[in-house]
Amino acid sequence: MASVAVSAGTTPPLIHGRRIGGSSATAVTRVPAASVRCGVKSAFLGQELRLRDMAAMQGDTKPKMVFDWRAETTEHAPGSAFDVTQTVASKLFKAIPGSSIREELVRRTLKVTVVGVGNVGMACAQTILTQDLCDELALVDVVEEKLKGEMLDLQHAAAFLPRAKILADTDYKVTAGSDICVVSAGARQREGESRLALVEKNVSLFKKIIPQLVKYSPDTTLLIISNPVDALTYVAYKLSGLPPNRVIGSGTNLDSSRFRWLLADRLDVNAQNVHGYIVGEHGDSSVPLWSSVAVGGVPLIAYLKQNHIDYSPDTLAELHRLVVDGAYEVIKLKGYTSWAIGYSVASLVKSLLRDQRRIHPVSVCAQGFHGIEDEVYLSLPAEIGRAGILGVMDSPLTDEEREQLHKSAKTLAEIQKKLDI
Amino acid sequence: MSALAASTSTIQSSSIQTRSAAPATATSRSPKSVFFTQGESRLQLRVAMATKEETKARTMFDWRAQAGDHAEGSASAVAEKVKSTLFKAIPGSSAPSLVKRTYKVTVVGVGNVGMACAQTILTQDLCDEIALVDVVADKLKGEMLDLKHAAAFLPRATILADTDYKVTEGSDICIVTAGARQREGESRLALVEKNVALFKKIIPQLVKYSPETTLLIISNPVDALTYVALKLSGLPPNRVIGSGTNLDSSRFRWLLADHLDVNAQNVHGYIVGEHGDSSVPLWSTVSIGGVPLIGYLKQNNIDYSTGTLKELHRMVVDGAYEVIKLKGYTSWAIGYSVASLVKSVLRDQRRIHPVSVCAQGFHGIEDEVYLSLPAEIGRAGIIGVMDSPLTDEEREQLQKSAKTLSDIQQKLDI
Repeated sequence: MASVAVSAGTTPPLIHGRRIGGSSATAVTRVPAASVRCGVKSAFLGQELRLRDMAAMQGDTKPKMVFDWRAETTEHAPGSAFDVTQTVASKLFKAIPGSSIREELVRRTLKVTVVGVGNVGMACAQTILTQDLCDELALVDVVEEKLKGEMLDLQHAAAFLPRAKILADTDYKVTAGSDICVVSAGARQREGESRLALVEKNVSLFKKIIPQLVKYSPDTTLLIISNPVDALTYVAYKLSGLPPNRVIGSGTNLDSSRFRWLLADRLDVNAQNVHGYIVGEHGDSSVPLWSSVAVGGVPLIAYLKQNHIDYSPDTLAELHRLVVDGAYEVIKLKGYTSWAIGYSVASLVKSLLRDQRRIHPVSVCAQGFHGIEDEVYLSLPAEIGRAGILGVMDSPLTDEEREQLHKSAKTLAEIQKKLDI
Repeated sequence: MSALAASTSTIQSSSIQTRSAAPATATSRSPKSVFFTQGESRLQLRVAMATKEETKARTMFDWRAQAGDHAEGSASAVAEKVKSTLFKAIPGSSAPSLVKRTYKVTVVGVGNVGMACAQTILTQDLCDEIALVDVVADKLKGEMLDLKHAAAFLPRATILADTDYKVTEGSDICIVTAGARQREGESRLALVEKNVALFKKIIPQLVKYSPETTLLIISNPVDALTYVALKLSGLPPNRVIGSGTNLDSSRFRWLLADHLDVNAQNVHGYIVGEHGDSSVPLWSTVSIGGVPLIGYLKQNNIDYSTGTLKELHRMVVDGAYEVIKLKGYTSWAIGYSVASLVKSVLRDQRRIHPVSVCAQGFHGIEDEVYLSLPAEIGRAGIIGVMDSPLTDEEREQLQKSAKTLSDIQQKLDI
């Protein structure tokens, strides 16, 4: 697929020229021998030792793992599997003479990068693939073996999925030309640990990640998942130099889903007919917008009042607490959360890539909204489309809700001041 | 399947379904009360449940099943009130017909493979109810909640979990992934003894609660364990299927497609026989866009040897080991493979999959063993095994696998 080769960036070249312009030459561009690669235990067993020796001779102590067999610069003996399939490939399809493929047209495939192949990153990647949201998926991490293993495990499902090119590398050049970069890398939240306690750990990590992503995809939209998401989305914003509409945090998109599930479960109705936003800080001090809660178009609070169903602020606080505790409960029970955040992220990716213009509560630069003066990231309901955040909703807030948001903003601003960015 | 189970499965209410094994009186089905006006009946149910001693000792993952009333003004109490008023049934409504059913899938084992299967099945919207079973209660509940929390992003499915098999009642398909996972360097055959004892606890329970179910065995070594499942279940052979070489064939197709830069769905070919080292690629079945590969190589004088073909096959076999070595286990690919089989069964797709079937009587195999062969899969399970033309060598390899498996089976205590 020439399109893939080109989109991978400058190097390594993965072009098979046989289908373009009717050329019969297999224009497999060879990576220079000076590049390091590690013999991987796949087809080319005999070459494993040789390649590692080459690497050692060049003074590299650690052989670099190779994630695409095409990038290996080895000749293949006649009659070898590689050789035979190359020959078949060059003959089996012939381009129509006079064909011309304009690179930019071919290139207009949707590409998503996922940084971090832990439980969250892989749940995001797999859900995005299953929902057929992109044509190319690039995985990046620092642990080579795990990274390659995850890539292969997804590739092996090719017969069951619409075709997507799945790439992986520890080198960020594999991410070139991404429409969206999902960042899930970072220390995970431990049982009992508040999200805010994670922030310092993850800032130095982001310094290695964010500039690289932007370097290879200057037009990308960043979608930050790592916790604490609000602070880290701010960090990503500062490190990236991107405009604020293109740096988004997953924020309370998931909290709101848990909220809707909770209410829907108690009312025995489809969660997609229960609407309501939780906004503000993703975590303990998130703010449920009770005025936004409706079931099949019936606003909940008004309904309670009209039907004289007694409730107190404690009732509402209890429901909110159940939502916040939901995450901690899952972490306590299975060690981490993955599936729900995977679906949440896929939902945001779809809104972005397909310009859905849906409203999601996501972490946005909240300065100037609802009287917030600090440059902080907090979740607010926002319209999401191809250009990222198209706009933040002018949601009516009660005095108490506004006050809670301001309080969160202050707390976050305090933390941000202490960060070294 | 009991009438109770049938009736509960038509009602898409998680509160009712967790009581599917409760006494028949618990499910009140008065002509007036239906899906939404259950305020009274729920109260009766709660009282009925509270008097059962076992509710305290049992693992309960549904908040509704907790004994005790909820204080006035508590979230649960308020929700109950809203629920009982927000929807009113049309007078004269009666319960839905028992003929229409919802699809229910059980997944036994919530490790990486089981959860990949469950999540992929949910994402592809293949069933209305999914039940998770395992022995580790915390992990089980955590996985269930993590899936439930995605409710706003998924079509509605009831997600249940319990360490008690009654939660599996009325399942159309039971997927068994439980078992020790294959360790790096360990051959699949070495796992079998470990997993037989486990299956003795699992299989009879599944069949007890879902006598009409189809079993889909994933645990390795899959061929031997599918045979074990057949024997322990007492089900007819068309309803005990092993995932077999469905995944091997996918890897095979991916490999060829990747080399040829073409969509894997246009590359066809089956690997059959034993899922593992001694699987048998049916080269005569391999084609790309309708062009048979071997014929093409010959017609175009492209040199290849049996070594070439063996190398390709070996890459497929090694593929699984490679992933295990790199990330510790495989999960995503097998998840998709299983979802593909589940779809073929539940939706009566009548697609052909290479799956582990009772191969006795096919291709001269005399032993009662499970091996993968291309078979037509539909609602009734294995509708039929294909009469694939085999070369003498392929037939010999299959028979050899059959002998090896038969030897192992003889040693098993079932």
